[in-house]
Amino acid sequence: MGSVVSAVLVLAGLGAFLALLLVLAEKRLASSGPVRLRINQGEPREVEGGEPLLSALKGQGIFIPSACGGRGSCGLCKVRILEGGGPLLPTETPHLSPEEIDNQVRLSCQVKVREAMALEIPESLLEVEEYPVRVEALTPCTYDTVKVRLGFEADAGFSFRAGQYVQVETPIYDGLSEPVYRAYSISSPPSETRFIELILRRVPRGICTTYVHELLLAGDRLKINGPYGDFYLRETQAEAVFIAGGSGLAPFEAILADMAERGIRKKATLFFGAVSRRDLYDQELLREYEEKIPGFRAVPALSKPAPEDQWEGETGLITEVVARGYESMAGMEGYLCGSPGMIDACIRVLTEKGIPEDRIYFDKFS
Amino acid sequence: MKQSPQLQAAQARMAPGALTMDGFLGTDPRDLAEILEDDEGAVRRLGLAHEALAADLHRLTERAIGGFGAPVAEGPFELCACEAMGVLPCPFGEPGLHPKAVIEARRTDTGERLSWTALQVHLIRAHGFYEGRGSPFRLEPPVLARFLGLHPPPQ
Repeated sequence: MGSVVSAVLVLAGLGAFLALLLVLAEKRLASSGPVRLRINQGEPREVEGGEPLLSALKGQGIFIPSACGGRGSCGLCKVRILEGGGPLLPTETPHLSPEEIDNQVRLSCQVKVREAMALEIPESLLEVEEYPVRVEALTPCTYDTVKVRLGFEADAGFSFRAGQYVQVETPIYDGLSEPVYRAYSISSPPSETRFIELILRRVPRGICTTYVHELLLAGDRLKINGPYGDFYLRETQAEAVFIAGGSGLAPFEAILADMAERGIRKKATLFFGAVSRRDLYDQELLREYEEKIPGFRAVPALSKPAPEDQWEGETGLITEVVARGYESMAGMEGYLCGSPGMIDACIRVLTEKGIPEDRIYFDKFS
Repeated sequence: MKQSPQLQAAQARMAPGALTMDGFLGTDPRDLAEILEDDEGAVRRLGLAHEALAADLHRLTERAIGGFGAPVAEGPFELCACEAMGVLPCPFGEPGLHPKAVIEARRTDTGERLSWTALQVHLIRAHGFYEGRGSPFRLEPPVLARFLGLHPPPQ
């Protein structure tokens, strides 16, 4: 009799324990109503609990860059969570270094908002906003590159530094399940506040560039967010080398326009690498900047000029052309924009020629 | 091989429009686990390993990217990389970001052509994944091995 009572008591106790666990788990895992987020020690903001931090921040107009749309596979959407956020998740650890873990860095797309949190987000990201824009013009630069002018609504208040980039939202089309963001440098100068221009080279099977090249029309409406990036001209006395490939000319067009408008005096050479003459564009514009900016010159270079190009300019890979141009680059600064492969190769050349890595600036849009 | 929750999540990331416009699975009706298992068998029957195929693809990819968009020669291969700014994550959720590059390759001795992406080098090496049937970049292991000139060792 005693053993039966004991068994019943044990079972009842176990049941109560499991029920308690379920209550705790529900409290922990389920949507938890309004939750307060404190960002950079500012005033708390109230968000709805239960959603990923990345989405909650977006709802507050705070855009954290992400290359995978919050799927936890790119590891870009890192923020510091000083309080709250729960334990580190197995989906986060592969993307975090031991130092980042020690510094309470987390992947904002993986952390669910369930309790009051204190966050630290770089101030530059807090300046990022979303803007509706209207396509004012699409102007072909080459057979596979187009310049897109995006007009702002009146008094939009978008401002940026020459060299920065924006993310363009590609709306749902042709089987896309949700909008996708891609990054593009601004080619127009910061003094122009009514519109921005972007240069987009077509990428085979690229989600955004296919949309822009095949479907986008003047008059269409899009959304952008930005500005992003710390690629801008350092206003030092150091001589600069600018190296651009393909659509990588875009930020340099903004920088050169800014230099011309603001009368910035800095010796600078722009090397623009292309395969053949049909890949070159805006050469007249660069000639104009040579006239307007003292100490500036532009050097187009073709790696495989076609016979019909009748090319008499520099030939070879852009790395070879740059290396030929300087005995030593000690004391200079390097600015790079192009494909990741070009950037990596140029960094090797510039460091071999004497530019320390901390004076080489680039955005790989990563 | 069982379709684990991790593989299920990876399969979701491989859908069209998730990471790339066409996705990674094409028209293949099989689960990711089945695709991996079948290609594992195909590579084994060739007497090869994923690492060997990936190593050659990696070498050719690096060489092609070094041409900055212009055609380059490497042994019997003529290679050209179309590289775009930006990066792609691994759909299996592994850390790291990979360049966006499509490599077009032609064997000058046979005229055979093949194209692949820089991300595929990682997918083959780390995951034994050659994409699904009907995917624009599906690499059939026997076709890839023949193209690369890799032959099974003598029995």
